[in-house]
Amino acid sequence: MARHQLARRLPGAMLVALLSAVAFLWASPFLWTVVASFRPEGAGSAGMASLLPDFTPTLENFRNALESGTFGLYYVNTLVVVTGLLAVQCVTVSLAGYAFARLRFPGRDALFYAFLLQLMLVPPALIVPNLRTVVDLGLYDSLPGVMAPYFASAFGTFLMRQTFLALPRDFEEAAAIDGAPWWAIVWYVLLPMAKPGLIAFAIVSVTAHWNEFLWPLMVINSPANQTLTIGLAAFTRGAEGGKEWGVLAAGTLLVMAPLAVAFVTFQRRFVDSFVFSGVKG
Amino acid sequence: MTMIARLGKSALAMCLAMMPFTATAQTKIEFFFPVPVEGKLAREMTRLVKLYNESQKEVAVIAVYTGGYDDTKLKAQAAAKAGKPPAVVLMSANFNVDLKLSGDIMSLEPFLAAEQTTRDAYLQDFWPALHANAVVDGELYGVPFHNSTPLLYYNVDHFKEAGLDPAKPPRTWAELVDAGRKLAKGDRHGFLMPAGYDYLGWLMEALSMSNGGRYFNEEYGGEVYYDQPSMLGAARFVEDLIFKHKIMPQGVTEAGGVSTSFFAGKASMVLLSTGSLSFIRENMKQGYGVAFVPRNVRNAVPIGGASLVMFNGQSEDGKKAGWKFIKWLTTAETLGGWSRFTGYFAPRRSAYDKPEMKEFIARNPDAKVALDQLPFAKPWFATYQTVAVRKALEDEIQAMMNGKKKADQAVKDAQKKADELMRPYVEQTALKLP
Repeated sequence: MARHQLARRLPGAMLVALLSAVAFLWASPFLWTVVASFRPEGAGSAGMASLLPDFTPTLENFRNALESGTFGLYYVNTLVVVTGLLAVQCVTVSLAGYAFARLRFPGRDALFYAFLLQLMLVPPALIVPNLRTVVDLGLYDSLPGVMAPYFASAFGTFLMRQTFLALPRDFEEAAAIDGAPWWAIVWYVLLPMAKPGLIAFAIVSVTAHWNEFLWPLMVINSPANQTLTIGLAAFTRGAEGGKEWGVLAAGTLLVMAPLAVAFVTFQRRFVDSFVFSGVKG
Repeated sequence: MTMIARLGKSALAMCLAMMPFTATAQTKIEFFFPVPVEGKLAREMTRLVKLYNESQKEVAVIAVYTGGYDDTKLKAQAAAKAGKPPAVVLMSANFNVDLKLSGDIMSLEPFLAAEQTTRDAYLQDFWPALHANAVVDGELYGVPFHNSTPLLYYNVDHFKEAGLDPAKPPRTWAELVDAGRKLAKGDRHGFLMPAGYDYLGWLMEALSMSNGGRYFNEEYGGEVYYDQPSMLGAARFVEDLIFKHKIMPQGVTEAGGVSTSFFAGKASMVLLSTGSLSFIRENMKQGYGVAFVPRNVRNAVPIGGASLVMFNGQSEDGKKAGWKFIKWLTTAETLGGWSRFTGYFAPRRSAYDKPEMKEFIARNPDAKVALDQLPFAKPWFATYQTVAVRKALEDEIQAMMNGKKKADQAVKDAQKKADELMRPYVEQTALKLP
């Protein structure tokens, strides 16, 4: 393996130094955000771009960011959207994945590729048709309206199909011989083995919808239904004014914090799932 | 019970629980507004709408924050196509032509007729420069709400240090270059201007107008003058500032970067909107001054900002409620208060006769400079497919600022692209012959 040869040739310390340098480069935007969010407003002229904290830290920026919107409500709404959506998606993608992987019916593969085609469409092209459907369903300006277009995820179906295909049929056949109906086979036999696939899909789905801006902006009108990204946009979308970098950084941290904490907590599980399912970030 | 059935049920219950409640005696209307400057303006706007809702019983306005100017246009048009047109929208003032041609917004003439007034009488109190962007094809479509012009901001301390008189900021392009050369040193730039989308088009309009040009045909939405001497001169001027005089950095700097550089003392003179006035006043630690945009041929700047429009597809009650709300938002008092809060200038002249406004101008002489430049203001660029036609120029100028294209080629290519974009409209109008 090339990696092993490289590791043997480079002395350990150098390798660590090299990797640290790369990690530092990778993390510098995040580090800057953290530093800037605690920087007092007046320090702006000293060196807004500096990574070194050369000031007495302040929570002022966080206070300003929190005051610019009802963040508690935004968190709840975003949580409802991502968890509600994930719950529905888990059902739809595992069933659809199962159908495409195991059931035999005419035109199955053609249907599967047609289904995958929607991955090629750029989301903005679908805004008007989707919005029409959402209005017809009476879901305009509601959180289910934000979720509805994503209930049937092509990516999730694809991922679950591949996961099921990789599982040996022996277990299902044993269950079938014992007289288990199809749903019991999916529920008791396949899904427990496909868990890493589901977890990988969950991560992708949650981060994508947590960070989504355009579609929620289109559907939501009432302040009571706004999500985090719309709240954050209140101070990032300014056109003619200057940027209050400190408040912007604090707001960004507030929005990303829950995801970051969740990732750090379950890091090992996540990495295992990705390795198992072959998905890379 | 399977997990599937349970999940299905809870999802259904959730959908039902979150259905919006409707139907009350009041007329409910939606008001879409972008936040053009910064977050605290969203709060101020929400406060204003609340004030209105509490002041009367017939109309309940739902204020909807809709992102930036372009997001607002996208959302309002998508909502209209999906059958949920907002009643009132605060829209970038140069989108009116486009929105009228696409049939999205309604003429406000019937409201004027119902009040037995004329368009001229109604617009009388608004600054003359604003009329052209409010009127499309001879009818009133937008009511100006907040407006701006570009302004030259300069660092007084740097002026003194470079031996320049801070009381005499550059008035012409020659003086700008001269001052910029003296001011630039080390990593400090003599001059800087935002070159992101939207801002760049607006500033190029300012420069071509200061060079005697018009940028576009105010009377007809199918013509722009990109490859004319006035714009060519403006493009060459920007190119020279970067590559010949070396007082502006190569590449594209966004507005946020420009104001940050100005605060940090890394740029001695910047072109920014009057809409940034409050922000700069609050954040600039060193001394600063403001001046007219320097001229080559004459003093002229475009208007910027936003006006209130009404979308088609309202009920009779909705229309009346929308107009009533627009009238309340555009009283001299409301406009004056908003102007003092934001730094934009108030579109109504009478707003400046109020004592609070007189006192404010006396306390902030920089606001007076912005006001004094108004008589030189001209309409903002508005054509068929406004955004795309503007980007046609911006893409080329950005390539030029990156050193990938010469000015002469850039304006030629921009003209070609803009003509292609406007061709469908031109074919249907000016070139449609009997």
